[in-house]
Amino acid sequence: MSSAEFAQIAVNAILLSGILALVALGFSLVWGIMNIVNLAHGAFVVLGAYFTFYLNELAGVDPFVSIPLSMVTLFIIGFIVQRVLINQVVRAPLLATFLLTFGLEILIVNLVNYFFKADLRSVTTRYSGTGWTVGVVRVPYIRLAALGIALVLVALTAWFLRATRQGRAIRATGMDIDAARLTGVKVGTIYSLTYAIGAALAGAAGSLLSMIVPFDPNIGGPYTQRAFVISVLGGLGEVANVVLGALLYAFVDVFVGARLPELSQAFTFAALVILLVLRPEGIAGKKFYA
Amino acid sequence: MPERKLSRRQVIAAASILVLLVALLFVPKFRSEYELLNYTRFLILALMAQGWNLIGGYTGYAAFGNVAFFGIGAYTTGLLMISKWAVPFFPAMFCGAILAALVAVVIGLPVLRLKGHYFAIATLGVAEATREIADTWDSVTQGSTGIDLPVRSEGEFFYYSALALVVLGVIATALLVRSKLGYAWVAIREDQDAARMLGINTTPLKVLAFALSAVFAALAGGLTAYQNIHVTPGDFFKLEYTLQMIIATIIGGTGTIFGPVLGAGVYQLLSTYVWTKFIELHPTVLGLIIIFFIIFAPRGLMSLVSEGLKVVRGQKRFRWQGLLANVRAHRVT
Repeated sequence: MSSAEFAQIAVNAILLSGILALVALGFSLVWGIMNIVNLAHGAFVVLGAYFTFYLNELAGVDPFVSIPLSMVTLFIIGFIVQRVLINQVVRAPLLATFLLTFGLEILIVNLVNYFFKADLRSVTTRYSGTGWTVGVVRVPYIRLAALGIALVLVALTAWFLRATRQGRAIRATGMDIDAARLTGVKVGTIYSLTYAIGAALAGAAGSLLSMIVPFDPNIGGPYTQRAFVISVLGGLGEVANVVLGALLYAFVDVFVGARLPELSQAFTFAALVILLVLRPEGIAGKKFYA
Repeated sequence: MPERKLSRRQVIAAASILVLLVALLFVPKFRSEYELLNYTRFLILALMAQGWNLIGGYTGYAAFGNVAFFGIGAYTTGLLMISKWAVPFFPAMFCGAILAALVAVVIGLPVLRLKGHYFAIATLGVAEATREIADTWDSVTQGSTGIDLPVRSEGEFFYYSALALVVLGVIATALLVRSKLGYAWVAIREDQDAARMLGINTTPLKVLAFALSAVFAALAGGLTAYQNIHVTPGDFFKLEYTLQMIIATIIGGTGTIFGPVLGAGVYQLLSTYVWTKFIELHPTVLGLIIIFFIIFAPRGLMSLVSEGLKVVRGQKRFRWQGLLANVRAHRVT
């Protein structure tokens, strides 16, 4: 591998890690706070991507402008899903929420398939394909902007959880739901809020992805799996850890995946199992939550 | 063994099982080849679900990768039958089951140390990894082209083989769960730390449950391979099989002897009916069924049946609120 090639692959990995961190951010939040492995997370990413695609296709809305709209829509969907469905069984053994969100995932993906067809889509704008050349390395503008937006959203989420009243209520509920209730936190609403934020972040990730990679309704499952691996690599308990997890994942994916693409899942999961057996709390995580 | 008097209830239960079994024995006489295919599918699903019930239902480990053993069973059976030794079907199928059990032990030793979600996703990853290996290992599995088995097109052969395996499965489950081993599994499910303190050596017992569940899945895989003739990684390692066995077990009732068989029957009925009515929305309907059962009847139909019987016997009054018991116990407001 020449040094130019190496530099380009490394830059690609860094650019990729931003969007992966955003995909995993909402997933990690929902898991850390409510102990729900939200298998419908990837389906929300798909919904975000389709939202941006249709706003662009039908109304000519710039994909970057559609990100907040997509977040608001997914926030509302997420809030309703948690309030109406998941809150009903959230304290049951974990297989219940696992399967419930799985049922949601196949339902949403199938409905998207049914209404929008399984064709491969992508959002193209007049600035797609333009980029910035530094020495031997090329940096596409859209990927750079996606990295920036992802980092801003990670920082905003971390700040929200730390500094605001609602955010503190979310973390308190995650630590001890009964104690939180005793101090006057409306835990049902807080759970719905947490899930809604998770869905909104998935929507933002989907909107960004729609500009970067071609997509169809079935990309949801693989993104849920990536979100899982990244959350575990980073460690639960502090949402900003996903940046670390995503960076590690992106480097393994770009360097190993470039050589042996057909065995990338086998490698990723072998690494994950080894990590889990040796260090169940993740690289930077505390044993506190999950 | 001291002589025991059977209660009236046990006699009725035994008689109804016998009637059902005789009815199943005569199905091929009254059904077309095509309809028989659906009955065979039901039995094969019941077999897989019985296996999942051992690890997921009794031991409480949500295994999401049992399709790996289904695929290993299918490939071993197929490859042995078309090898230069031309192994007959049944020995080949049992070799597949043994190999799957060995693989389950090797995978289970590290993976069963994980708990909860971690275990679920790790097994999911193992299943994906085995599919990739089957896809890339061209010299043995012929990659994504797949392998072709000898043709055998008697529907009755597959039906009766599946029926025999399911009956054996029911007997095996009943014996296992009434043994010390079965009680240890339930203890692990209820509280692993407490079980360990009581002197149960949890790891080997969990691995045993995992390996036994692999045997069931591999037998189902071998049978399906011989019936479908053509075996490819895409068809025999798909997540859908794992889900089917989990959904069937949950519909019937996890941790019950007859639950998986009942659940498989209901699943096949729903699936056949849904397939013909709305082909494109099949997954949506399945999703709704999963959501319905998880929220209203997480303990499955077996528990609804036993509650219903109590009402019939007049021991309990019927209340609609009974359906909300699960939500009452687990919701957050």
